[in-house]
Amino acid sequence: MRRPLIGLTCYAQHIQYQRNELMAAMLPMNYVKAVHAAGGRAVLITPDDPGTDVLESLDGIVFTGGGDVDPVAWQAERHPATEVDEVRDAAELMLMRAALAADLPVLGVCRGMQVMAVATGGSLHQHLPDLVGHERHRAAAGTDPLAAGASDYGRHDVVVDENSRAHQLFGRHLTVNSFHHQAVADPGEFVPAGWCPDDRVVEILEHPGLTFALGVQWHPERTTDLRAFTALTEAASVGAIIPA
Amino acid sequence: MDPSRGAGSPAPRACDYGGAMRPIIGITSYVVPATWGVWQNLPSTLVPHDYVEAVTLAGGRAILLPPDDRDADVLRALDGLVLAGGPDVDPALYGAAPHPATEFRAERDAGEMLLLRAALDAGLPLLAVCRGMQLLAVAAGGSLHQHLPETLGHERHRPAPGVYGEHEATFTPGSRIADLMGADRAIHCFHHQGVADAGSLTVTGRADDGTPEAVEDPNGGFVLGVQWHPEYRRDQRLFGALVDAARTRMKENGTACADR
Repeated sequence: MRRPLIGLTCYAQHIQYQRNELMAAMLPMNYVKAVHAAGGRAVLITPDDPGTDVLESLDGIVFTGGGDVDPVAWQAERHPATEVDEVRDAAELMLMRAALAADLPVLGVCRGMQVMAVATGGSLHQHLPDLVGHERHRAAAGTDPLAAGASDYGRHDVVVDENSRAHQLFGRHLTVNSFHHQAVADPGEFVPAGWCPDDRVVEILEHPGLTFALGVQWHPERTTDLRAFTALTEAASVGAIIPA
Repeated sequence: MDPSRGAGSPAPRACDYGGAMRPIIGITSYVVPATWGVWQNLPSTLVPHDYVEAVTLAGGRAILLPPDDRDADVLRALDGLVLAGGPDVDPALYGAAPHPATEFRAERDAGEMLLLRAALDAGLPLLAVCRGMQLLAVAAGGSLHQHLPETLGHERHRPAPGVYGEHEATFTPGSRIADLMGADRAIHCFHHQGVADAGSLTVTGRADDGTPEAVEDPNGGFVLGVQWHPEYRRDQRLFGALVDAARTRMKENGTACADR
């Protein structure tokens, strides 16, 4: 059986490596490794191409983490802490809407979950510390989030709605890493299925009407808990073995 | 499961997404520690954005292919392939011991070699750039010079870190590369290894010092290797030809939505 082909949205980012400085199309390898460990074959979808035809070739797609979504999408003013990439937003909102319309299996990670909400008419809280009064959803300011592995992210519990599909995947409770300062306010066409019990911040979105559309606010690709990725590749395998 | 869908056979496309399908061009990618924003030396997969722009300008849809040596199934999604530049090729692949200046990444070699061999078998149009041309020569049974400054006695193919050497190449009249390049033969190089033996491929371009600058398939398939970096100028002569060949293949295989 061939592996399902999983697209990962990626960054167009100015980066440095060794002595080189350049504009690159790039993505942290954690995502690639997570897809491969879950039985898929990862390819990167560049985020600056205003077209959706590439979805024809994919069995599933992951909307990855990254910067903030431009609040112009839900007619709000930009908060001073909000940093946007308009080109990536435009391409990903278009890809997300097309993927959902075609019922392609979709996983949203962190920013990717937020794109799910915004693409379907929802909105975000632009700066959580203003709302919840604490910083536990991200690593301390100025620290390297990778300095001591995932434990340097904020960590907290998630409680899962017992009547959700996410409950079948994650059970009632899990502990997650966390690295974000925005959060879902209005989930659009999605349904919240998990929350941080301390502050009711939405941690899981799902779409009851679609085959597989799951959003998680944390970063499973940086952990050994790859249930979200495995669920995606399993859903994508169904599409992969039935000729279109 | 449809057993007829092996590596290299194009997938049926349902055309659910509207509009005409552009040819999908896979670009093999690097794995390096990258630094940006709050992230320091985070292992990342990437290609210089020049490649993406060159493919997009030519009317292709670029996707990046991180190294993976499990199988070449991803080829079924591709209409064309770019083997990008990068580190040296493992000399073990052509039966040589490594030179002290040779730096290679075994996992990238393994993944790309698997993909390249399957692409050649499937007749996928492919453009191989710099390291890609060297890998292509090795896949064709050839071998490399591991450190050109020793062989040639000059540094003109890699003048300094981050600086392209600019020179002119001479192409074999009537070859694919000669036809594509026309009168403008200026090229931008950055390499310290070179093709010693092109194996079953034909050398169709050379620098003044004799270094092979272009190789192609003597049987007429769109298999083109160039030692320089055409993506630096988003050279539409080469990327345009690749995308055209990919589009022709889509039509022949009935995978272009516009034809359905």
